[in-house]
Amino acid sequence: AAEPWPENAALYQQLKEEQILLSDNASSLAVQAFLQMCNLPIQVVCRANAEYMSPSGKVPFIHVGNQVVSELGPIVQFVKAKGHSLSDGLDEVQKAEMKAYMELVNNMLLTAELYLQWCDDVTVEEITHPRYGSPYPWPLNRILSYQKQWEVRRKMKAIGWAGKTLEQVLEDVDQCCQALSQRLGTQPYFFNKQPTELDALVFGHLFTILTTQLTTDELSEKVKNYSNLTAFCRRIEQQYFEGHDKDSSTTVAARSAKRSLLR
Amino acid sequence: PQSLLQAYAKFSGAPLTLNTINSSWRAPKGDVPVLISEDIVISQPAKILNFLRKQKYNADYELSAKQGADTLAYIALLEEKLLPALLHTFWVEAENYCSVTKPWFASRIAFPLSLYLPGKMSREALNRILLTRGGPPLYSLTEVEAQIYRDAKECLNLLSKRLGTSQFFFGDTPTTLDAFVFGFLAPIYKVCFPRVQLQEHLKQLPNLCRFCDDILTCYFRLTVSGHSPGGQDMADANLQKLTQLVNKESNLIEKMDDNLRKSPQHPPRKLTTLKLAAGGEESPLNRLSP
Repeated sequence: AAEPWPENAALYQQLKEEQILLSDNASSLAVQAFLQMCNLPIQVVCRANAEYMSPSGKVPFIHVGNQVVSELGPIVQFVKAKGHSLSDGLDEVQKAEMKAYMELVNNMLLTAELYLQWCDDVTVEEITHPRYGSPYPWPLNRILSYQKQWEVRRKMKAIGWAGKTLEQVLEDVDQCCQALSQRLGTQPYFFNKQPTELDALVFGHLFTILTTQLTTDELSEKVKNYSNLTAFCRRIEQQYFEGHDKDSSTTVAARSAKRSLLR
Repeated sequence: PQSLLQAYAKFSGAPLTLNTINSSWRAPKGDVPVLISEDIVISQPAKILNFLRKQKYNADYELSAKQGADTLAYIALLEEKLLPALLHTFWVEAENYCSVTKPWFASRIAFPLSLYLPGKMSREALNRILLTRGGPPLYSLTEVEAQIYRDAKECLNLLSKRLGTSQFFFGDTPTTLDAFVFGFLAPIYKVCFPRVQLQEHLKQLPNLCRFCDDILTCYFRLTVSGHSPGGQDMADANLQKLTQLVNKESNLIEKMDDNLRKSPQHPPRKLTTLKLAAGGEESPLNRLSP
């Protein structure tokens, strides 16, 4: 039975100012955007151990009523079961396309973000290691950080990204952005008038890339090359993240997302 | 990957000579398929495709920008959703592996490599599946398997919906996406395994079956009877069918005829012959790169 959406639904992620990394921030923002688009209120709660609380080990996860759901895919399905959906108006072919593009974003953008923050030595030293374990005392912070790095590098090796250089990764990002830009064209959203979960996902990633300060600007430059993508991000930000009075999710997300993640 | 590349080469009209090599070691860096053109050696399917495109063998010339973007997206979908199940069917599923893949593979490569290489590829496949799909809340291999097959079936359904009633994914002429889809679907469709849940699902989608058959008959001149040149002695008739599918004669230039759409970029052009070296018995999953 579909229960109504409770008022105290909460989204958990890592600490915004000190701890959260590029890829997790992107995923979290995507979920927040999606929920905003569905008009479902959500509070963002920051916890240092959010990753460990999550049922799948990944952030963000939402706590609604007495259920806990993590990651955008399952959250979309969960929300659909409650009776809210953004993609009902699409026909079968469009739904297939939407899924394909979401996979493209996950495959290319998310993996590139993970690569940058865990496999690029400069970024790892200067940004990732200090941030990831920051809530914990030494030596736990180092241990957790190395453990996570080892895990991510193993995965990269399995899918064949370990051998890539940074230039190749940036080129892949560029190709992905080009595809997204071409698909978006001059429309306001990917499926014309109404935003869907694809728009939320793309927004989450692109906005994070654009507003995060890393050791170099190359990643955000790649996105900035495509003006319709930056306009797209601005549009969604204005529509869904500003002009809200509650200080919980929305303005905080917009404000702190603008600030750099560099300590 | 091999069938993908051959399909692409057919679609774009590139002259390819296919060399079978008996040992994966001989391929530079141990990677197959490998493209050798003059002195350049390229070893991953995506890079080979890029190379072919730069040499003006472009099957996507007439696609719009949006269709090009769609191609990338669908390829990502295939890699993410279909590839794990494919790897599993070929390399991890115990019955399939022991009765079909391993003997097939091992028969084509030299001893003692045949003892080592199939096992290695099987382990790598399992590794990849577990690392990319195996995190919590899926804690056991059976749960992971159930999930990847669900995803694969959903992916097949999505492809079927996208294909609809048209002959190829973007109209009447084949493109990169068709090559990719064919490369993934053909092994599922044609190889006879003891455990065939994916194949059964595929057979319920008639337009995808028709798509595979069309490409096979038009571009690979596959006939029901007929031996692959080179006369391998295969015990299993089904394996022979797949052999015919992917094992081509050394001179493929005669295949460039009116059936292939000529890309406007390459009218009469004297080009270097590109040698595509393929290893083993062309299990399309010789190398686990997408």
